[in-house]
Amino acid sequence: MSLADQPADRTGARLAPPAAATGTPSGPAELPTRRGATARLLRSELGLVLGRRRNQVLLAGLAAVPLLMGIVLFVTQDTPVAGQGPAFFDRVTGNGLFLVFTSLFVCLPFLLPLTIGIASGDAVAGEAAAGTLRYLLVTPVPRTRLLVAKALGALVFAACAVLAIAVMGLAVGAALFGLDDVTLLSGDTIPLAEGALRALGVVAYVALSLTGLVAVGLFFSTLTEVPVAAMAATVVVAIVSGVLDALPQLSAIHPGLLTHHWLDFGEFLRLQVDAGVLLEGLAVQAAWVVVFGALAWSRFTTADISS
Amino acid sequence: MHSGAMSTSDPSNHVSGRPDPSAAPGDAGAAGAPAGSQRKRLRWAVPGVAAAAVAAAFVVPSALSSTAADDVPPLTADELVARMTSTEPVPISGTVVYTARLGLPDVTVGGMTGAGPLDLLGGSSTVRVWSDGAERSRAALLGDVSEYSVVKDGAEAWTYSSADDEAVHYTVPADRLAEYEDLAEGRAPEVQGDVPTPTEAADLMLTYARTTTDITVLEPTEVAGRSAYQLELDPQTDGTLVDRALVAVDAETAVPLRVQVWSTQDASAPAMEVGFTDVSFDAPDDSVFDFTPPAGAEVRDVEVPLPEPSELGPKDDSTADAADHGVSVAGTGWETVVELTGVDVAQVLGATAAGELPDVPGESGAEDLMNEFTEGGEGEIPGIPELDTTALYDQLTTEVDGGRVLSSALLSVLVTDDGTVYAGAVPTSTLTELAAG
Repeated sequence: MSLADQPADRTGARLAPPAAATGTPSGPAELPTRRGATARLLRSELGLVLGRRRNQVLLAGLAAVPLLMGIVLFVTQDTPVAGQGPAFFDRVTGNGLFLVFTSLFVCLPFLLPLTIGIASGDAVAGEAAAGTLRYLLVTPVPRTRLLVAKALGALVFAACAVLAIAVMGLAVGAALFGLDDVTLLSGDTIPLAEGALRALGVVAYVALSLTGLVAVGLFFSTLTEVPVAAMAATVVVAIVSGVLDALPQLSAIHPGLLTHHWLDFGEFLRLQVDAGVLLEGLAVQAAWVVVFGALAWSRFTTADISS
Repeated sequence: MHSGAMSTSDPSNHVSGRPDPSAAPGDAGAAGAPAGSQRKRLRWAVPGVAAAAVAAAFVVPSALSSTAADDVPPLTADELVARMTSTEPVPISGTVVYTARLGLPDVTVGGMTGAGPLDLLGGSSTVRVWSDGAERSRAALLGDVSEYSVVKDGAEAWTYSSADDEAVHYTVPADRLAEYEDLAEGRAPEVQGDVPTPTEAADLMLTYARTTTDITVLEPTEVAGRSAYQLELDPQTDGTLVDRALVAVDAETAVPLRVQVWSTQDASAPAMEVGFTDVSFDAPDDSVFDFTPPAGAEVRDVEVPLPEPSELGPKDDSTADAADHGVSVAGTGWETVVELTGVDVAQVLGATAAGELPDVPGESGAEDLMNEFTEGGEGEIPGIPELDTTALYDQLTTEVDGGRVLSSALLSVLVTDDGTVYAGAVPTSTLTELAAG
């Protein structure tokens, strides 16, 4: 099918563990071998996710956002349109670290959900569409662990997506504008070292904020053999969540929405970081992970898989 | 997909080279057998249980925390008011949620502008407050990755908006500092666009309540996890927009924790509510009250106007003094109407609009370009939702005979064509009658 970029020897590599298992004569050796099989599966899954050309292009695309914004800001910094734009945009020219925050802010509503949707929606459905899923299921790895490996692959890719934006933002910001003490939203200024720590916090929070969407995408991915359907459905969930979040009539359900707490990463840039706010956002993500993770597990461990 | 109903549930179907069934995927052998279908159904119960557990995890803690607030000693209304007015202010910090249902048109530009005092016209806002109990305080109005701060330190005050990176510094001239401190009794100067706190709202309510108000104590309640007395203020008159007000007072410290004001126009929900959702009485860190405008921020200095020494006179004659400034007061208590004469609305709006324009750095070429933009676009840069105060004024007020009226659930303002402003917590008809003389 369309997976020409998939390593050719992949199925063979994955089928290797059972061969090794049968090669071991005695019973006691079986357990470590199984663990080895899981580790191999995980390694091959990560290699697949990160080695796939399409995913690398996605990461490069995300990293291009801070580069583009940095160049635009650098070129326009002495013109009247300077300083107009999304949050923190006007701060970047004074302190390159803010390019990290601006880039994440710009990518959060659409580009990051799109990336997550592609990675997680493809996780199971992509294998089914390529006809490789049934071969995966004959490895000595239970379906539960296979699903966990798929989830970890998608999560690692989500983290890489956030890191690609942040690292590129930092590099471009530092190169074009230099780094300086950080002005918080409250107007107070903190030393660069503390600012860098807070930036780390922002990156970690944004990455963890995407876990709920990964779980949703993984669930959709177990429902269908058409990867595009799962990807699109995942992106739609993120967008619909954003739309519902904008309707004041629905304020009662806002705190539980998948995307509602995403922008709470701004908490790291307030005078006193309130852990309660951050934990609430992470708790909501955990809730989505638990519910949709359980749904994905039920579906994946009970489905008749024929392709 | 290709092989139809063929299932991996029986691994020997596919993998001819693997005779050892013990290596088969343990979880995969479910489909087919009757026992398997039951296990399938059980597996689908897991998400249900997970969802229920998640719901419980979110609901139960809040239910547990609502401890009974009935162990507070009973107090009469007079005792409670006396306690509130006599208690020295204590250090306090916490999170305040302010909700306004004033029935005003929505003027916020969908979160594009960042947090600012305009948010307070409607909807819910979260404010973080710190106070050392004396003359230093800080309030931060939170928005999505934006913040509007008001920092007060004695005779000095700052406001800072993260959205337009502008700081405003309010000061009293050095030679009149002693005089100011005498007058203000340790209060910070008034700033434009202040952020409400329960304490200030309660003070205002109690000031009103000195006259013609039925004050009763209701059942104790719980605010921000603390037991609180509830004071109900019920205006005796029908001439005001305020139906009733509830003030929740902390049982231990007598600090107001929540104020709710109902309008006569809507009995279902309070028109204005400001209360702590989270409160601590530990002294906040001193650094919270230090404010230095960030490098690169636009700083505007405002000198706080003080009355001339000749006008100070005896304090009880305040209305007469105020009249010299074009301010007079009609009515008492809840029906108080403030009258301001000689207000040039166009000029006030124009000045604010000019203040909103972004500063242009250096180059004259850039300035020319800027002028080109602003001349053509009514003070707006194309594509940027710049706050247009004139449009805002037109949006909030309606045309009436002889002027324009702003009508909300709790406050009415009439601006007559000859430049007189009437404002009060009264129906607009009262204002128009007053204006007609």
